Amino acid sequence: MDFPYYPINDFGPLMKGMVIGGVGIVHVFLAQFAIGGGILLCVFQWLAMTGRSKLAREFVDGYFRWLVLISFVLGALTGVAIWLTTIQISPRTIGLMVQEFHWLWATEWTFFCLEVGSGYAFYRYGPRLPDRTRLGLLMSYSFASWMSLFWINGILSWQLTPAQWLEDHTVWSGFFNPSFWPSLIFRTITALAEAGLFACLVINLVKAWTRAEKKEMLHRAFYFLAPMAAMPLVGFWYFAVVPDDSRRWVMGESVAMTMFMMLGVGTSLLIGCYAVFMIFNRRNFISAMTSLLLIALAMGATAGGEFVREGMRKPYTVRNVLYCNSVTEEEIARLRIEGCAIHDPYPLKDAAEIPTEQLRLGAKVYRLQCSICHTVDGANGILGLTRTWTPGQMRLNIAQLQRTKPFMPPFAGTAQELEALVQWLAWREAESPATWETSDRPEVLRQIQAHLDEVGTVSGLELMHNKLGDGKSAKAAQSQP
Amino acid sequence: MYPFDYPTQTVFYLVLYGATLVLHVLPMNYVLAGSTYLAFLGVWEALRGPALAQRPIVEVLRDWMPFALGVTITAAVAPLLFLQILYQRPFYTANLLLFHRWMAILPVLIAAFYLLYLQKSKRWHHFSAWVRAVVSVGILCCFAFVAWSFTENHLLSTRGQEVWTEVYGSNRWFYRDPELMPRLTVWYVGAFPVLAAALIAQFWSTGFVRRDENAAPDPVTDPAIRTLAVLALGGLVASVFAGGGYFVFLEEPIRQRLTARDVWPYLAGATLGIIVQAVIWRRVWQRAWIDGRTLTFLCLAVVGAVGSATALREARRTSTIDLNQYASMHVTASIVGGLGTFLLFLFVCTGALIAVVVAVRRGLIAGSQPPIE
Ligand code: HEC
Ligand code: HEM
Repeated sequence: MDFPYYPINDFGPLMKGMVIGGVGIVHVFLAQFAIGGGILLCVFQWLAMTGRSKLAREFVDGYFRWLVLISFVLGALTGVAIWLTTIQISPRTIGLMVQEFHWLWATEWTFFCLEVGSGYAFYRYGPRLPDRTRLGLLMSYSFASWMSLFWINGILSWQLTPAQWLEDHTVWSGFFNPSFWPSLIFRTITALAEAGLFACLVINLVKAWTRAEKKEMLHRAFYFLAPMAAMPLVGFWYFAVVPDDSRRWVMGESVAMTMFMMLGVGTSLLIGCYAVFMIFNRRNFISAMTSLLLIALAMGATAGGEFVREGMRKPYTVRNVLYCNSVTEEEIARLRIEGCAIHDPYPLKDAAEIPTEQLRLGAKVYRLQCSICHTVDGANGILGLTRTWTPGQMRLNIAQLQRTKPFMPPFAGTAQELEALVQWLAWREAESPATWETSDRPEVLRQIQAHLDEVGTVSGLELMHNKLGDGKSAKAAQSQP
Repeated sequence: MYPFDYPTQTVFYLVLYGATLVLHVLPMNYVLAGSTYLAFLGVWEALRGPALAQRPIVEVLRDWMPFALGVTITAAVAPLLFLQILYQRPFYTANLLLFHRWMAILPVLIAAFYLLYLQKSKRWHHFSAWVRAVVSVGILCCFAFVAWSFTENHLLSTRGQEVWTEVYGSNRWFYRDPELMPRLTVWYVGAFPVLAAALIAQFWSTGFVRRDENAAPDPVTDPAIRTLAVLALGGLVASVFAGGGYFVFLEEPIRQRLTARDVWPYLAGATLGIIVQAVIWRRVWQRAWIDGRTLTFLCLAVVGAVGSATALREARRTSTIDLNQYASMHVTASIVGGLGTFLLFLFVCTGALIAVVVAVRRGLIAGSQPPIE
């Protein structure tokens, strides 16, 4: 079998998506701070140089220290972390991304080098340098960090909307995909807003300034939240170009996704209200505590946004190419004949506790095909979801997994493997007794095969589109919003 | 000559990987050996009181370690990328098998990074000698852990399906490979000559070290420079022994691979690099000064030795991983677009970095002179 088997790890009660989402949120949040922070510092340096603000120069040096301590350390390492976590969760996905986009990633790396070089130069020598050099360094730093966003944004947005790339497989049609620009703009706005909020915190922490001085600086910082006014528009643009099924998950069809979406929108709205309050009334002041609170809200917004972005791709990690469980669309038909889990070279960690060969196979099927989105009895626990079903219902619903829920991939294995999974679920549900009868009646397998053949191997999204009768194939529908 | 018998695309990625890995190894050695030095000195000072002769080295290290770590991590991203094209399956598999134990390098590196900033801070000298010693030893432990993890992961990736299956089933978090300690030792002792060369280059650029014999001997500088020479010479001798020991330790087929005719150039390169360094350091030890040309030779010898060692390291790996089985992946990867973009921005960003250095130098000079009015 030339299927790339990897040793699959168990994250216990945590859904794997939650793990990657968690690391992702922290990283994105810090990276946005670094990017927006760079731009903000350029502006403040300019304010100082043109005599518009006497305090700006001091502020720039103070803020930069924070930026280095937070973003150069945590930002850089969570960046590596997200890479390594992606390998843990889905080696095949990251492998495909590396294969397709390694030159653009390498390009991003050249900008990392520039970012680190100019950043450290400013950190070390900034206070001793003349203004023009300072501005030059800051511009180099912020341009480089924004460019790293530019490159990674293309690769990440490709996962959801590969569109034209599916036809021509060229790197640029993958990179400049339909959601590239809206997400780039959206992230840039977010980065600016975040930098503004961090600035408020830093300003509050300067002991030497009077309240009036702080107030002046706070108001300047709050201008960086003004671009948030464009967020609804860019948001609509984004949702107009993503596949309509993805849009529907967010707009109510998936409860969890909708909740995250609400979280993102709600927190952004709150921050937006505060921004209006500050920008339009020059007498208002904001304290360190309020700044912290707003930063926490921004973190919430990032969390909502990142979960939505990650979750919206279901059942794929790369739309129309690779399913979340690391099976490609193309492979499913073959795996239904040859089997998948049965060739998995990695043993079960708890093999000794599983009484029969069939149950062991079932456990392997679960590990390979379902464990990426489900846990056994934790978050999105599979036992809980199938508890009320009879074996017959299980056979039908799993054989037609993509019809059961369109955000699940089609089952990728033989009827024997499916029956093994059903038996394993029933055995686990029965609290793992020491003996279990093997189920190998031919009529059951024939029935399963019939269920499998009935829906075939097309994705659930395609089924859904066909059912909705919009006359177009799902592929066409998603590439032409 | 190794590795040019592989298909062109494979060679292409191997060369890129090797070149960028050297960029990682050089600052990594600085961090590894530098943290050892600081830890050693921290304990020494706690036991015996201030070691004034070591101050110049200590101050430079304290000051530059966070930057060196930043460079180590940033430089590591490129080889990490090319590695995933060359050895995708073995690398991912080893990552997955080690799981939490592998991922632990990240929190450990974050902790080490902040401790380095603490070590650099003005507050540092307000701590008692013992606190300082404990922190410095802690930092060393972090980096030793990371180095060990990379070696462990590397070795596991070379072992193949049978071992992987066994390790997965065994539920162990640590992979104990007999090669681990001998290999790690080579890395570790080899780091000291690199550190010494980097430090003397730093001293040279700040004018701390005498650049010719006419300058009067200096009671502060000269002992520090001699310490570097001892570090370097000790490291070089230890590297030869550690390298030899590791070689003897290897299995016969691997040994044959490493002495095959097509890797001779690298054996020769490493040997030459070591000899040149040793000769230069002996002279530095005698004179306690170094001129620009000798320093350049020293740096070239370091890069030559590290580069050759990197190539030999690859020959070791490809003696147990058949790289040809992944050749078709390298071909597929090589036809995707973007190489031109990479080269363009490599050029642009390198230029910009040079401009940064020039601008800072100019700015510092302008800043240090009183304005003319
Ligand atoms: C792409 C991620 C993903 C994969 C892979 C996946 N599922 Fe699901 N599954 C989900 C999500 C999300 C739900 C919805 C849970 C909810 O509604 O609360 C779900 C729901 C279910 C349900 C409940 C359906 C219902 O109508 O209530 C069952 C049963 C189920 N999955 C079984 C499986 C099995 C068996 C596999 C492996 C063969 C599998 N899933 C693979 C994401 C996935
Ligand atoms: C100070 C921290 C670090 C130390 C001490 C360190 C040490 C090492 C060592 C000893 C090796 C050689 C392993 C061997 O050949 O046995 C190595 C290789 C490597 N390191 Fe680092 N490393 C550090 C940080 C990093 C980081 C943060 C990354 C990732 C971004 C990284 C990426 C790599 C890669 C890709 C290799 C090659 C691995 C291989 O080919 O198998 N390193 N490192």
